[in-house]
Amino acid sequence: MLNGIPLYWYLIVAAAMFCIGLYGALARTNAIAVLMGVELMLNAVNINLLAFWRYLTPESPAGLAFAAFVFIVAAAEAAVGLALIISVYRNMNSIDPEKLDLMKL
Amino acid sequence: MDIINNLVKDIGDGIAAAIIGLLGQGLAADIVIMAIAAIAVFAVASGGFAALTYAERKIVARIQDRVGPNQAGPFGVLQPIADAVKLFTKEDTTPASADFWVYQLAPIIVAVFATLTFTVVPFAPGVVGTNLNIGAFYIIAIGSASTIAILMAGWGSNNKYSLLGAFRTVAQLVGYEVPMLLNIIPVIMLTGSMSLVDIIERQTGVNGGWGVPFIVIMPLSALAFLISGIAETGRSPFDLLEAESEIVAGFHVEYSGMKFGLIMMGEYMNALGVAVMFSVLFLGGYGGPILPPYLWLVLKTFGVFLVLMWLRGTLPRVRIDQLLNMNWKFFVPLSVINLIMIMILGKVFVSDPALFKANGGILIQPFAQVIIFGASSLALLILALAVVTRRVRKDRLAEAEVLQQRREANQQIAAAMH
Amino acid sequence: MTVAQIVFILLSVVGLGAALLVVTTRNLFHAALYLIASFFAVSGFYILLEAGFFAAAQFLVYIGAISILFIFATMLTRTVRGMVPRNSQWQAALFVSVILFVAMLLIFSPANFSLPFGQGRTFGGAEWQFAEVPNKPGVLRDVPASSINDFGRALVDLNQYGIALLLSGLLLLIGMVGAIWVARERKPREILAERARMAAEEAEERAKAAAKAPEVSVAHAAVAHDAHHH
Repeated sequence: MLNGIPLYWYLIVAAAMFCIGLYGALARTNAIAVLMGVELMLNAVNINLLAFWRYLTPESPAGLAFAAFVFIVAAAEAAVGLALIISVYRNMNSIDPEKLDLMKL
Repeated sequence: MDIINNLVKDIGDGIAAAIIGLLGQGLAADIVIMAIAAIAVFAVASGGFAALTYAERKIVARIQDRVGPNQAGPFGVLQPIADAVKLFTKEDTTPASADFWVYQLAPIIVAVFATLTFTVVPFAPGVVGTNLNIGAFYIIAIGSASTIAILMAGWGSNNKYSLLGAFRTVAQLVGYEVPMLLNIIPVIMLTGSMSLVDIIERQTGVNGGWGVPFIVIMPLSALAFLISGIAETGRSPFDLLEAESEIVAGFHVEYSGMKFGLIMMGEYMNALGVAVMFSVLFLGGYGGPILPPYLWLVLKTFGVFLVLMWLRGTLPRVRIDQLLNMNWKFFVPLSVINLIMIMILGKVFVSDPALFKANGGILIQPFAQVIIFGASSLALLILALAVVTRRVRKDRLAEAEVLQQRREANQQIAAAMH
Repeated sequence: MTVAQIVFILLSVVGLGAALLVVTTRNLFHAALYLIASFFAVSGFYILLEAGFFAAAQFLVYIGAISILFIFATMLTRTVRGMVPRNSQWQAALFVSVILFVAMLLIFSPANFSLPFGQGRTFGGAEWQFAEVPNKPGVLRDVPASSINDFGRALVDLNQYGIALLLSGLLLLIGMVGAIWVARERKPREILAERARMAAEEAEERAKAAAKAPEVSVAHAAVAHDAHHH
């Protein structure tokens, strides 16, 4: 399956995906889109974890376990984050992160 | 006898050998063999689809005291072909305000993911698209993708009824995935593997195991899996997603022609997939005496599908609140209790001497183990049904009382007006 | 070019292209669909990496659950269309992302892609050792056939990841309860009552502050006191 694919290909693709997600998380005007960026970043991390597992320690389940915990945390994060966004929308009628400045001086 | 038993495998091996002879060992031959295997899997799935549409229409017609299709060919057996011709020649419309690509892609995704289920199903010993070591998990995962396709269809059509249907679908499908997965886990636990071939061999007793289908060992799981499977495919009595008397046709109201055909095909293949999965996970798949294995799988699948048709022909549609209550308040807790029970029983009553030496417990004969598992599962099922029946009767009586009070009040008002 | 390489390139084009569209499109529903396409490509990477379990889990968790949550949240907040694609700090965000990507590219790429700074492949005294992981048969070890069984045992073994698994189950439970509690439906009356209570508390604080510091105008305190009563 890995015929001719060096490890750094995976690392570069994951880095690109992480940076795209970072841009999305920083530059979007909608909290849901920001969360989408965060999901992309988590996916990039998972690619890295599994690539390192496959190339360096395929006998040990450590890499798989870490990836599994990233999945779990991502699921919890998405559920709680979206619940917060819906709650904010009900109260403020907007989910633009720049307009939610109630705590600003 | 061996020739008949291994017929499918031998044909497949023969074709593969011929192609390797023609192209030589290598990538080209591999790709051609894979393509032929993919076409074969698709042909099995879509052939099953065509046969089952005819069978279902005939059988449901019989249940409802009608005749069913009887014009095309003798007894109407050519009806599926006539339907296909009709769907192909119909105009393929797209609503002007539709979300174009989303609308176009949705039926394709439904059909593709419904077909993908069949790639891991073992049809006979050695005849399996690919023996994944995560087969059972793969099927659940693939099934969850159809939710997205339905949501795409509902949103893309830009129609209120479509969107309502899509929302109902998501509430239903996401919910019933949970008990479905929870009832596959006992099977995986008792097999020690997620591969469907291993699961079948455990039930047929090829590599040790009890040699009885899992439905005997876990009747509760089997029943819960079947019901949540029916809900997962959105068939009657759980056809809220396309309830024609409430929301026209639900998420596919705007589809016509072959796109509608693809959606129908996807739904039928999902139902067929659930029937196949049930016969693989709980009825022992291709295992069985006398008849050749592939015939056994077909017979079992058709038997399960007959139950599905029977339910469709006789039961009224459930309400959305009943549907969700039944899932979250009945199936999920019951499945979790069942899972814990099987876990404890599996630790306490051991039939494998090596495992006994390692973990302790009570060493008993395999058949005693089967009896203990089956009896406790059945007892739990009866207990749960008794509790639920009482509870539901109470609810229904309370509801009837409220209705009665309202009716009396209305009568008094009517009398006063006169 | 081997088949695996072609598949890899196709997957990265789909995955990264979809990811780019996720962060640039105006229609949030389309963004969610592109996100699904991106997840799909990532699951393809997992298959290439021989982690089939995670490919299926990616389907079940990300495509089957998380993206549906996204679509639902999009529709519940009525923000599907007409989103402004970039906020005021987008140039800075783009700059940071690009710089980060270039830095990672320089670190991860093989040695013949020499760094413009520093000596060789040493970073802060530690040598970057993973760029040249050999990829020849015999050197790259195979995944053992019992990999998935080992993984399962490690997850339930209390000496390995058992505690972590229990804690993550607890995390999911707390997350679920919290999500339901935060997003629960509240009647407008309740919300108004809560706002009135908050306003009253604020007014009370102001009144207290005014009482402590008498030089603040008395009229202000009186107004606050008034608000407190009504």
